[in-house]
Amino acid sequence: MSATSNLRHSQTARPSSPHTPQQPLRSANTSFASASSPGSSFRNEDDAIIFEIGARCLRAGFEGNGTPVCVKRFGPEEMRRAADYRGWIHGDIGAGPLPKPVNAEDWVRDYELWQPDLKNVDLGLVEDKIERVFRETYNQYLLTDAGTSRLVLALPALMPHPLLSSLLSIIFGRWRFPSITLLPSATMSATAAGLRSALVVDLGWAETTVTGIYEYREAVTKRSTRAMRALMLETGRFLTRLASGNDNDEEDDDKEESSDGDISVGFTYCEEVTAMDQTISIPSPKNPEHEYQDLPLSDMAKSVEKVMLAPDVPECDLDDEEKSIPLLVYNSLLCLPPDARGICMARIVFVGGGARIPGLRQRILKEVRLLIARHGWSPIRGKVVERQRQRLEELKITSQTNSHSQSPDNIPAGTMDDEKEKSDPSKEEPEADFVDQKLRRQNKDTPVLIQGILREVESLGPWAGASLVTSLKIRGTVEIEREKFLQYGLAGATRDLEQPVPDRRSGLRAGDRSSWTLAGWA
Amino acid sequence: MACSFPYTYVSCPCADTPVPDPARKRRSRESPQKSTPERTNASSGQDTQEVKPPHTQDEQDEEEEEEQTFDPRSPRSNFSLYPPEQLLYCEDCHQIKCPRCITEEIVSWYCPNCLFETPSSMVRGDANRCGRNCFNCPVCTAPLSVSTIENVTGNGNQQGPWVLSCGYCLWTTLDIGIKFDKPTNIRNQLQKMTDSLSGPAFDTRSRQGSRAFGDLKSPLSNLASIEEPAPTQDGAGGLPAQNDQEVTPHLGAEARFATLKSFYRSQISETSTSPSDPMGSDFGFSSPGALNRLMSLYASSSRLSGLYGGNKKQKPKPPVMREAINASEGLRIASEDGDASIIERLASPDCGWDGVASLSQRTEQSPDVRFSHDLMPLPVLLRTKRAKRCKSCKHILVKPETKPQSTRFRIRLIALSYIPLPTLRPLTLPSSSLVPSPAPDLNALAPLRPVHVLLTLKNHMFDPVRITLATPSVTPGRVASKVTVLSPQFDIGPNSDVWDEALQGASAPITTDPRLRAAEKVPEAGKVWDKGRNWTTVVLEVVPGTLPGSEAEGGKEGADEDELAVASQQDEDVLEIPVFVHMEWDAEAQLEQQNVGKEAKPGDLVARELAYWMVLGVGRITASL
Repeated sequence: MSATSNLRHSQTARPSSPHTPQQPLRSANTSFASASSPGSSFRNEDDAIIFEIGARCLRAGFEGNGTPVCVKRFGPEEMRRAADYRGWIHGDIGAGPLPKPVNAEDWVRDYELWQPDLKNVDLGLVEDKIERVFRETYNQYLLTDAGTSRLVLALPALMPHPLLSSLLSIIFGRWRFPSITLLPSATMSATAAGLRSALVVDLGWAETTVTGIYEYREAVTKRSTRAMRALMLETGRFLTRLASGNDNDEEDDDKEESSDGDISVGFTYCEEVTAMDQTISIPSPKNPEHEYQDLPLSDMAKSVEKVMLAPDVPECDLDDEEKSIPLLVYNSLLCLPPDARGICMARIVFVGGGARIPGLRQRILKEVRLLIARHGWSPIRGKVVERQRQRLEELKITSQTNSHSQSPDNIPAGTMDDEKEKSDPSKEEPEADFVDQKLRRQNKDTPVLIQGILREVESLGPWAGASLVTSLKIRGTVEIEREKFLQYGLAGATRDLEQPVPDRRSGLRAGDRSSWTLAGWA
Repeated sequence: MACSFPYTYVSCPCADTPVPDPARKRRSRESPQKSTPERTNASSGQDTQEVKPPHTQDEQDEEEEEEQTFDPRSPRSNFSLYPPEQLLYCEDCHQIKCPRCITEEIVSWYCPNCLFETPSSMVRGDANRCGRNCFNCPVCTAPLSVSTIENVTGNGNQQGPWVLSCGYCLWTTLDIGIKFDKPTNIRNQLQKMTDSLSGPAFDTRSRQGSRAFGDLKSPLSNLASIEEPAPTQDGAGGLPAQNDQEVTPHLGAEARFATLKSFYRSQISETSTSPSDPMGSDFGFSSPGALNRLMSLYASSSRLSGLYGGNKKQKPKPPVMREAINASEGLRIASEDGDASIIERLASPDCGWDGVASLSQRTEQSPDVRFSHDLMPLPVLLRTKRAKRCKSCKHILVKPETKPQSTRFRIRLIALSYIPLPTLRPLTLPSSSLVPSPAPDLNALAPLRPVHVLLTLKNHMFDPVRITLATPSVTPGRVASKVTVLSPQFDIGPNSDVWDEALQGASAPITTDPRLRAAEKVPEAGKVWDKGRNWTTVVLEVVPGTLPGSEAEGGKEGADEDELAVASQQDEDVLEIPVFVHMEWDAEAQLEQQNVGKEAKPGDLVARELAYWMVLGVGRITASL
């Protein structure tokens, strides 16, 4: 949570030298850092390396760059033995129909680095994969000596501890990294959008995470399994149906599964246009090399709609973990305190693989707008509540008709609307309060915060955010030093989440890192 | 599993010593597939393992694991198996070293295409890519060549616009509308063009704009405390707002990142007021703690606060970092119509499936690329020459020469100079007096029909070696093949002078033609098949198992085609034999050891041993009998 909650403080912590180029700043910082905390890694002249690791792919690059040097995906090809070149001989391994429908779980497993459910995950295998992909990334793309410079990992805020432990111990054990800094990806996405508060919707692989970030703190997190993994399965099923054609209806739905050609190219074709009667042709799932098959674009869109938006399912039928994305966004906004809600709803950031599906983001926002219009910001709904409100309205109407002296054009519908708006503090028109006026006069130079409207802000993604933050020499709360980790492992982290914050406030800088914390990852 | 049968792989012993996790007790290395019942380690060879009395639970665990048969089918083994020629050997640790147990240091950077060495200072600046004319095709990754559009009459001086063209897929930069004025320094020219594509006007303007904005802003933040209206600020705010409208769609990721960065930088320098600001401590300015405390001490006394902070009204409102509010600061609001244009383009007939960049094409490109029209030629990634050290003892194992053109190494300790090179070939047995039967097709081994394979181990050391081989009697996995090593213990001669053998051979009576001798031979248990100067060949008898679902397995009518196909997909039908190799030899004591062990004299022999698993890929088993 508070992994970068110190962002503001440490940002303001820089020596004041306006418009100074980077180099002097850095040296000044060095002197400061050495004065306040000896052994700080800021003295490292090398640029930090930033890795963003997800279940499907890995991004790596140097701090201060806008785009990662490389993006590596995990797949069966990456699991081959050394000097096993079959992938090059046979062409795309994913192409072509599978000889036999395979279990859906098996179908995707090869392409994942890990699954959120660690019961079936062989952590040793995960370690092997991480080691290999790190080594190859360094040797092929980064072209620096591994382990000499600081390492920054942008990770999802919720990582299973065994996984985190494996990840850290393989990196520390394999190379001599002096320290590893963990940065939460949601906050980094907000930073990469230039925002301090945002509602980050991460349409990720295994799950969609909606994180409300207020002043760089994660205020609320909600997640749903309606994510790219489910979409891949749905697309696979759809293409299977396409391939099997008319002759046999459909073999057992859930279990039976077939590969759709190039596994992720399918993503781009998933469209969010329901009314599109043109046809596109895709390589036929039966014979991807030679044939093309025409199908309406809207068919692709349908599977996206079914997975992400769940249009036909009433809300009450959805399990807690599979709320549709608009509902998830709405609920997380609802959970936020009104002030934060107003700010966050005007700063919705979509990241993750699903954000690339054209039209999906607009569709989600539209649905959220609809939900807001329907329910306002009240979590209470249901028949009884409705009845009660109607009764209250009737009461009001009668009272209004009684006191006829008031403005006649104030029709009941208007009051209802007013009421609705009242219940929505973010939409509320500020009254002419003398305190407000004074405040506004004082804050004249600060730009007006846009709030209370639904607005989407584009982000450069968590990797760019981490690169940005690191290049500004901001320290994360979670900075794990090599020796300490090797001694105690994850157990060495202090559990006291609150500890660093007051320290910083009094300017003591968190007890010069003699203890380290996992902050939000604890 | 590799390209052709038969093949051999060696498993690096480092797989048995996983990274210690300090937090918890080692978790077991069990792979999910190891749920199969524990196989007996019965081997045709002598089991050299002595049974130790179990001390603690941990040790028991360890031992169990040690005894566990190496399973080439486990997904983890893919990461520890290497072809023998890729392995190194550390002379200090006396251990095989795979890429996982070495550390690497870069010696030099060079472009694999033009073989120019790039100085280390320029590597990062060129983004790890060749800064000259070397490009790869964004469509098919073949190297691009510079050529002219117009075939000018005179061969001497070719003129006119130049393009990069791919010789393989015939893609040219004309497809994306790029021509070059000069045939040299293409990278720079391209850089300029991409900059102009992503709106250089905006870039410069925004930078100036933000700078001007910052200039205006920083004095204002002081003025703000005097509560004076700032009309100039509105003007400044207006300008970027215009920018916002014009240029947002063209801003590339890099450009946007740069604006964001400069924005944050200016914010940081603005908000971190001078250290004399008494309120500084409240926001945890990381001036050294002592100074901070002193400052707050002084700040508390109202008398002095005037000296430092000056205006009291500044106190309640210390400057706070704000978020980016317009495009010049890196904010990008998603457009209302959203991805309508993208969708239109996707659906348009001239785009189609081939108009969309494939996943592998996109990973190399900037993240915004979606269509194949947006693909840019890729400068060739640099490569490195790396020195390799043993991870545990830092002994240098490989040191290449710096020059990119040179393929020589100053130091190279490859494992094959120490471990015997295993080679495998099928044995063709002459069937009595008839014509010799053809060699069994290794890509189609019939189940349940015994096959003999010859395993030759060739010693490259100057000392004779004693070898003990051990295999599980039944291979792990669903397809259980029976394996027997006919002579598990044997010696290999030293890699002595070739002349020695020649002389020996001359002294021996040349009575039998080796071919004839081989033809007479029958594989016999306990006997080495053949032996040479520094090699020994033994026979392995393999009875391939039956594939699950095949007709050979049971009384099932007709093979289950699907299941068979799945088996071949997952390489279940590949017959791989894990073999445990234990080698012993007497080596001459090395210099350091002489110093350590005082009794050791030069010329003393030290007994050495090395043990590792190796995997022999024999062939593919067919379904039918």
